[in-house]
Formats: sequence, C-alpha cells, structure tokens
Amino acid sequence: MLFDLFFKTRKPVEEDLPQASDGCGSGNCGCKKTPEPTTAEPDGYDMKLGKTMNRRAAFRQMTAGLLAGAGMVQASCSATSTGDKREEGQLKWEEYFKKNYRLMTDEEKSKTVERLERLYEINTGKTINVSTNGAVENVLYGYAFNISKCQGYMDCVNACVKENNQDRSSQMQYIRIHEMENGQLNFDDADDNYFHEVPAEGHFYLGTQCYHCENPPCVKVCPVGATWKEDDGIVVIDYDWCIGCRYCMAACPYDGRRFNWQTPEVPEEEVNHTQHYLGNRLRSKGVMEKCTFCIQRSRNGKNPACVEACPTGARIFGNILDPNSEIRWVLENKKVFRLKEDLGTEPKFWYYMD
Amino acid sequence: MKQLAVLGILAVLIVLGVKCAPGQHDEGGHNGSHHLLEQLKYISVDSLNYEFSRFDQVDKEKLVQIHQLVEGAEQFLIPDRMAEMKSYPCSNCHSKSLEALQAGKAPGEKKSHWDIEIVHAKTVTMQCTTCHDPKNFNLLHSLTGAPIEFNHSYELCGQCHSTQQKDWLGGAHGKQVGGWAPPRVSQTCTGCHNPHKPAFEKRLPARLNTEWLK
Repeated sequence: MLFDLFFKTRKPVEEDLPQASDGCGSGNCGCKKTPEPTTAEPDGYDMKLGKTMNRRAAFRQMTAGLLAGAGMVQASCSATSTGDKREEGQLKWEEYFKKNYRLMTDEEKSKTVERLERLYEINTGKTINVSTNGAVENVLYGYAFNISKCQGYMDCVNACVKENNQDRSSQMQYIRIHEMENGQLNFDDADDNYFHEVPAEGHFYLGTQCYHCENPPCVKVCPVGATWKEDDGIVVIDYDWCIGCRYCMAACPYDGRRFNWQTPEVPEEEVNHTQHYLGNRLRSKGVMEKCTFCIQRSRNGKNPACVEACPTGARIFGNILDPNSEIRWVLENKKVFRLKEDLGTEPKFWYYMD
Repeated sequence: MKQLAVLGILAVLIVLGVKCAPGQHDEGGHNGSHHLLEQLKYISVDSLNYEFSRFDQVDKEKLVQIHQLVEGAEQFLIPDRMAEMKSYPCSNCHSKSLEALQAGKAPGEKKSHWDIEIVHAKTVTMQCTTCHDPKNFNLLHSLTGAPIEFNHSYELCGQCHSTQQKDWLGGAHGKQVGGWAPPRVSQTCTGCHNPHKPAFEKRLPARLNTEWLK
C-alpha cells in the first residue's frame, strides 16, 4: 500500500534529473522542464497520488516521511538530549503503539500504566496512581435521581469537575441541571444556566449525565471500538484509541458525551491524582469523554462524587443486582421513569419522586 | 380427512401458543420498555462478595444501629449523633425540670436557648416540649410521652412524617453515607434537617455558569 503510493511511476521520466531536488520537490511539479503528461488534465488523484517520480525522488520522500514519523524516537536516540527527555521520548513512542485497552493483557495494562505514571512524573514531578481495576463480579451499577429533592444547588457539578479532571478553560461539565417549570418536562424550555437563588418558586430541577444504557447507541456507532460497555454496566472510553469523530456524540439521545475541542487545562494543584485508565485520567485534545459513574471510586465501593456531594440526598447509587440495595428498593417501590424509554436504550438511570 | 384437518389446526394453535406465551423473553433483546426492570426480578445472584464495605469510608465506632420499626425491615446504621453533640448530656446545665426552672425565673429573665426560633409547623401544633422531654432534658419524647434518645430521633419525626419515614427505611429518602456497598449506612433525619427549621433554604448555586451567557 505504502509502496504503491510511492512507486506510482506510470511513466518513466528521464533517468537523471538533478534539478528536481531544488525546492520544488519531486519530478513532475511543473516548475522544471519536464515532459507534460500525454493524458488529459491531471485530476486530484493524479496530482497527489499518481504523481510521476523517479526512483531517487521516491526514496528521498520516503526517507523524509520516515524521519518525520520517527520524530518521537529521535529524542530517545539523540545523544545530546538529557536523560529525562530521552526517557520521555521513549515512553511516548511506546505509548503511541499500544493496543486498544480491551485487547491488552494484564501485563500490557500494567506496562502502559507505568508509562503514564512515569510520564506524569517527568512532566510535573508529581506522582499519579492510575488504576486498571476491572468490574466487580455480580455488580450492575444503577442510579436513581429524586426530582422532588434536587434543589438545583449544583454541588454535584463542582464535585464532578474536581473529581474527574475536566477541562477548566472550556468549563467542561458532565452533569447538567435543568431548571424546569412545575407541570412540564420539556428540555427546550428548561434553563440550564440559571444564576439566581435556588430553588426558584414553581420550578423543579432535573439532572442529566451519561445514563450508561444497557443498549448504548454510542457504542454501536464507534468506528474504531474505542467505547464499550463493561461487565458492571459502565460505558467507558479508551481515550488513546478514540479518533475524535464524534459519531457517539451524535448517536447519544441524551446529550451525555463531551468532546475536547482544545487541550484540556487543569492546574496541577487541582489534578486528582487517584485515577483510572478508563475514568478520570488526563485526556488530550480531540477525544471524547463523559461520566463514568466515577469508575475510579465506584469500583472501590465508593459512591460517585456527585452522590457524595449532593446535600439533599437526591442521588442514589448502587448495585441493581443486589436485592437489598437502596437503589433496588427505589426501583421496586417508587414510581420511576426514564427519559426516551421508547428508544429501547435501557438507561440505568431512573428518575423518581417523593 | 376431517380428523387430520382438526389435528393440523390444533398443531398450528399449539405452536402459536408457545410462541406468544407470556414471560418468554428473549434474553439478549431490548424490546419491552421495562425490560431491564423485568429482568431484574428473575436474576438471582448467588453471592455478593465485595472486597470493600462502607466501613472503609466511615468509622464503625461512630455509627449506631436503628431500632426495628417495622417487622422484617432492615436495621441499617446511622451516625451516632449523641457522640457529636457538643454539650451532651444536657443535664450538665439543666439539672432541674422545666416546671422548676420556670417557677424560679425572675421577671424579665431570658429563657434558655432564647436564640432558637422554631420554624417547624404552626405553634398550635408544635412547641419545644412536643419533642423535648420537659422532665429530663437528656431525652426526647414521643407524643404519648414515651422516652426517645437523641440518636433515635427518627422515631419522633416519623410520628408525623410517616411517608418520609417509609421512604427512609427503604432507601429512597436520606443520603447514603460512605458508599454503595453493604452494610447500609444512611443519614438520620437530623443529619440533613435542622429539627428547629427543617426546610432546605434558598441559596445561590455552588457554581454560576455565567461565563456561558453572552
């Protein structure tokens, strides 16, 4: 394939063209006296891919391409760079060629975690702890939100941003609290950016975030398998495998996913150093992210940060397979509903009232 | 011939009947709107072995078990409030009964805890002694005068707020403490509500997304 591209020599040019090297790159670029192609007007393909070139020019291009690709190793091979720079280059190089998280063996997982931790240490001098804890057996996480209790205080949003290292400069937030008028459930008329004392008279508050659907449409559309549902029902993203096409964002009927339009900025002193590979580890520009039910917390038995921060107890979290759990009692004894039930996405996020 | 036709129809009916029988759910499918909830009823989990518990997050010593209010109800844990109260026992200061205190009061002398304003139901319904035992300040008491410890104030609150108490006992009301794994630990009524002024107050949200406004 690569060779096809470079050796597309449809027409042999005069064996030696020394002047072809100065500035205009390879063979048939028009600025030198080269024979015009006998065929009609060259189209884009001809100009770019079907470019006529001789062997020397082809080799020159290949070398240039390889050198550019090897930019990352350059640092590691260079005798002049310092030890840390060299190690960083080496680590980045290895990181670049790692597998999709789901295909990694346990050893490969621990290797990549070591690299990520070391890279952070080289860059900031601080240590992070990246977990790769798997799903706990016989657990399916579920979430219930009491719309009678939520007062719109937004403590959950703050806690979430802090816990999950979200981009401060773009005000990335996984949770949205919608202020709605009593008697209707209409997102078009809801106010998501209220800035007055809450609760406002005659209004109720409904929070949305990723619902971790049992039948997640976002997972189906991902062209590279960078997002999937774990055994405990948490829908996760491999940030290093995501290509940023945002198909998932378009497929999600609940506005649950967020995109990093720019390199996320989190001041080092605010970074949460307790991280999970599929959770709150630092993301880069051009990748998707979203709520993971605080996978770094929930897989250790803790509640997600939003549940812990809620001052009204409007948020209930737990294992819906456990018949004695609080969440199970809510599901079995309260009148619960989910948004867009008709889509068959089966969110594991229920709303209920007192 | 006739018999064959009847048999044929019967066979068709049986096949149809089997296909449409209720409760025959396609396990992997997601068609019914309550499919997940329906499924939950039939899922039995053999063992729930967690390597963690809520005691990882909360000190076991600072918790008390609730009294059995309803037969068969789970007796979960709540924070030990009496250990948290700064000037408990109250009898350190209030050694006499309310009656004796009131009798010995000089004209114009201020009441104890004059600064506490009760914004909890109307005064015809509630006053201090509706909850506090006037004979023993270390205790609360029920509407009929049965003693109730401060740790078990939910017994008192539930006399009027029975629906909230039912939700609380089940797990729909009351903040989860320490995580989601067993054993269950929940906030008690007074952990979130000030009993003298139980309604949540209006305030500005913790974050104002004003930068988005253009």
